Amino acid sequence: MSPLRSAAIALGAAAIAGCGPKELVPPQVGPKLTVTSTSTQDSAPKEELRMVPAEAYMRTYLALFGGLAPLEVQKRARGGDGAQLFDTWDDYFSSLGFPDYRIDMPRSQQTNALMVATFERLGVALCDRAVEHDLKAKPPVSERVVFAFDEAAGPAPLDRAAFESRFDVLHRTFLAYPVKLAPTERAARFFKLYGDVHARHAKAGGKARFSPDEAAWASVCYGLVRHPEFHLY
Amino acid sequence: MQRRTFLKSLLLAGMPMRVLADTAAPAGEFFVFIHAAGGWDVTLWADPRNEKKGIIHPAATDNTDPSQVRHWVDAPMEDGARTFQLVKARSGAVFGPGIGGLLDVSDRITVVNGLAMNTVSHPDGSAFSATGRHLVGGRSPAPSIDTMVANELGREQMFPTVSVAFPSSYVGDGLDRRVVPLTVGQIGSVSRSLARTELYDADADRDEVTALLSQEANDLASRSAYPDVLRGVGLQMESLRRMLGSKLSDAFSADALRKAHPQFNYKGRFHGASSVNAAFAVDAMKRNVVRCVSFSLGGFDTHNTNYRTHAQLLQETMDLVAILLKSFDDTPHPTLVGKKLADHTHIVMVSDFCRTPQINQQGGRDHYPNNSALVVSPRFKGGLVFGKSDPEQLLPAKVKKFIDGERAIAPPDLLATFLSSFHVNPRKYMRDGEVVPELLKA
Repeated sequence: MSPLRSAAIALGAAAIAGCGPKELVPPQVGPKLTVTSTSTQDSAPKEELRMVPAEAYMRTYLALFGGLAPLEVQKRARGGDGAQLFDTWDDYFSSLGFPDYRIDMPRSQQTNALMVATFERLGVALCDRAVEHDLKAKPPVSERVVFAFDEAAGPAPLDRAAFESRFDVLHRTFLAYPVKLAPTERAARFFKLYGDVHARHAKAGGKARFSPDEAAWASVCYGLVRHPEFHLY
Repeated sequence: MQRRTFLKSLLLAGMPMRVLADTAAPAGEFFVFIHAAGGWDVTLWADPRNEKKGIIHPAATDNTDPSQVRHWVDAPMEDGARTFQLVKARSGAVFGPGIGGLLDVSDRITVVNGLAMNTVSHPDGSAFSATGRHLVGGRSPAPSIDTMVANELGREQMFPTVSVAFPSSYVGDGLDRRVVPLTVGQIGSVSRSLARTELYDADADRDEVTALLSQEANDLASRSAYPDVLRGVGLQMESLRRMLGSKLSDAFSADALRKAHPQFNYKGRFHGASSVNAAFAVDAMKRNVVRCVSFSLGGFDTHNTNYRTHAQLLQETMDLVAILLKSFDDTPHPTLVGKKLADHTHIVMVSDFCRTPQINQQGGRDHYPNNSALVVSPRFKGGLVFGKSDPEQLLPAKVKKFIDGERAIAPPDLLATFLSSFHVNPRKYMRDGEVVPELLKA
């Protein structure tokens, strides 16, 4: 082997040896980080609240009140009892914020006073029919669509604790979270509403189709199905 | 300084002093905005043409049915068909036969011709006429005139703006949530939304719920980093309480309105149903519950043989406005003693654009980027026709020297002038447009 060839082989072997696995760096415990300041996580929304698209809250109405088709809900809400609780969806198309392509009317991007009025009209119809189904007809709790709790045993209104446990069921249904996570005054406000309506109907002496307790729960339902948290996100 | 900012400052410097003076906005004014949807033929009323000239083919008996058009008087045309004679008004202005009932009040109307539209698209033309801006990405980038006026003069009114299929838009900063237009397809649907039955619950029950929700909205607003929408909902809840407390469903019931205002032509071939909107305007203004009523009158998009009745359609439109004006004349102002509603009510009528000067192969007219507008306002010069189109092509013609040079008038100029007549600085809402003092009373 010539000296030149030997030198080339030695150089090649050295180069191959240089491509071998690197030495592992042994793990080390670093110095402890010192806390210089603390701040709470900013979880605030970064843009204005928006309206849930009309199709989304309409679908939610249908799901909440029994999972029925729109025409079926219309039929039930109108009823055959001359109560005039509701007309047809078509009458409220534009005021509910839907686009109406028949007359080139665009989708409403904001709520307005008329929309708020229509929400009330619709909410009253749906809640009243739900009270008739759940509280008047008294099916088993498992078959109730909205008021999935036992009603008051006697003519007296519920006390605060009994009210709140039932209100929590409705709060979770409509606003999707427990009432204990809501602003603290909410339960008190709705309890006052429940009590006021109960007292008003008890005083009126049963002129309305609802008993005082049924009317009071209907009002609580109106308040939740029209709540700002229901329509905005 | 950017070029646009510079031009704006020049423009503001050129505005009449009374526009910029810190004058309190007037109270007790009412507004009606009408949109002639589809694009009207201005050669039949505001900018009349009865000669074949250039590309202009006037309305004539071979394309128009003049039998029910009251002001149509035959005039000869060279090819055997008969066109119309120009209609001369008391004011000296000249109109086409579609002027209808407005001829009798021609000294009170202001007509603006030769409005440069730069569009032949329905949505864009409607938005441009109502807002002074073209659509951006299919959406209106500016508030419409009814929203602007309501924001300035109608915030405290129960219904700042009721918009019946008008191209209303609520866009931009500095707008009060209360002035979001109450947009409906027909006026009767408002009464349905306000109807309540007493069989299950009482007014007091529902009112307490609404008061609670108003409180909830305000409380959530006080906790929110972005409270405006929630505050707006709170205000709207309060508006609802006032609306329901005032028992207004009659003001919105189509049947009740027809009975209360029989002067309108509810059996009209074209606008019979829409006449209820005009009746609503009179009724709601008389009750002082609304500030602006805006509505659309349809049927103007006459591309084919439906053009034969376009003159009748215009006549019925102008008749409706004339009856509306007469109704305002006959109605006392709800708050200003000794005044009529007409003294403080302002009507603006616009359309998407006008129709081609040529008759197409189907016997109709297509879209054309010129336009006219009508204003009936005690603050505008009556009996005035301002602006012009060229004699051979009906395109907008230069009318005066604006701050950006000599040019035709355009919708932003008209809207800016309208706003300025109420001491509102148009720049607060509008990017473009220059006040045209020639349109305003001294």
